[in-house]
Amino acid sequence: MIEFAVDTTPEGVGVVTPKGRLNMSSARGLKDILDGLVAEGTSRIVVDLGETTFLDSSGLGALIAGLKSARQAGGDLRVARPTEAVTTVFKLTNLDRVLRPRDSVEGAFDA
Amino acid sequence: MPDPTPREPSDDEGRVELSAPATPEMMQMVHAVLEQLWSNHEDVAMADRIRFETAVIEILGNIVEHAYRLEPGESERRFDVSLSATEAALVASFGDDGMPVSIDLSDVTMPDEDAESGRGLALAMAAVDELSYDRASGRNHWRLTCVRQPG
Repeated sequence: MIEFAVDTTPEGVGVVTPKGRLNMSSARGLKDILDGLVAEGTSRIVVDLGETTFLDSSGLGALIAGLKSARQAGGDLRVARPTEAVTTVFKLTNLDRVLRPRDSVEGAFDA
Repeated sequence: MPDPTPREPSDDEGRVELSAPATPEMMQMVHAVLEQLWSNHEDVAMADRIRFETAVIEILGNIVEHAYRLEPGESERRFDVSLSATEAALVASFGDDGMPVSIDLSDVTMPDEDAESGRGLALAMAAVDELSYDRASGRNHWRLTCVRQPG
């Protein structure tokens, strides 16, 4: 199963932390959360993948969709602290260039 | 209620098997069956576990999502999966009574970076060393093999 923690930093950056497996059953939940943040005006978003133990193509699709909607709203979506499982899937799908993982949530929008 | 029937490993090489309705809820069950496989084979490297689990879940997702478009009045579709580990390789074998899959695996490519779907089979193929599909006796059969990395 999966849980999502959603937070906003004092700088107005939305932080979403999926805790568990991002797969076909749970990707929809992530997409809805990301869409909701952008709709509320939070277009700078960090997805903290430090507690994401599994990622499949559905989860990737949700991240790409979130990236596109954040950019369309003038912001960006960045990913931080990926686990080995997440990094593996980014590399296998050549998405590690688009979803370039950052070392920390706090510094995800520094550069 | 679905009636998943995981069976204890009893035969060669700690094989684990599952026969269940092909529903999205079964994803968690297959993750659990994989955990059982790893507890039977604690020596399997993390990188191999990740590659194998990624491909297994993508194939299961394909079975659930695409092969089970039920016609009105049709009964529930089911799948079975057998997972095993030897010193040389991790092997998964799926069978299901869903619709035939009209796809040529040699034509599968990774979609563009901004695509929001369509990566499943390409990811499965990239993750493991062999992936095959065939249709026989009214059933779909998927088989995937992950050659284990030394050490």
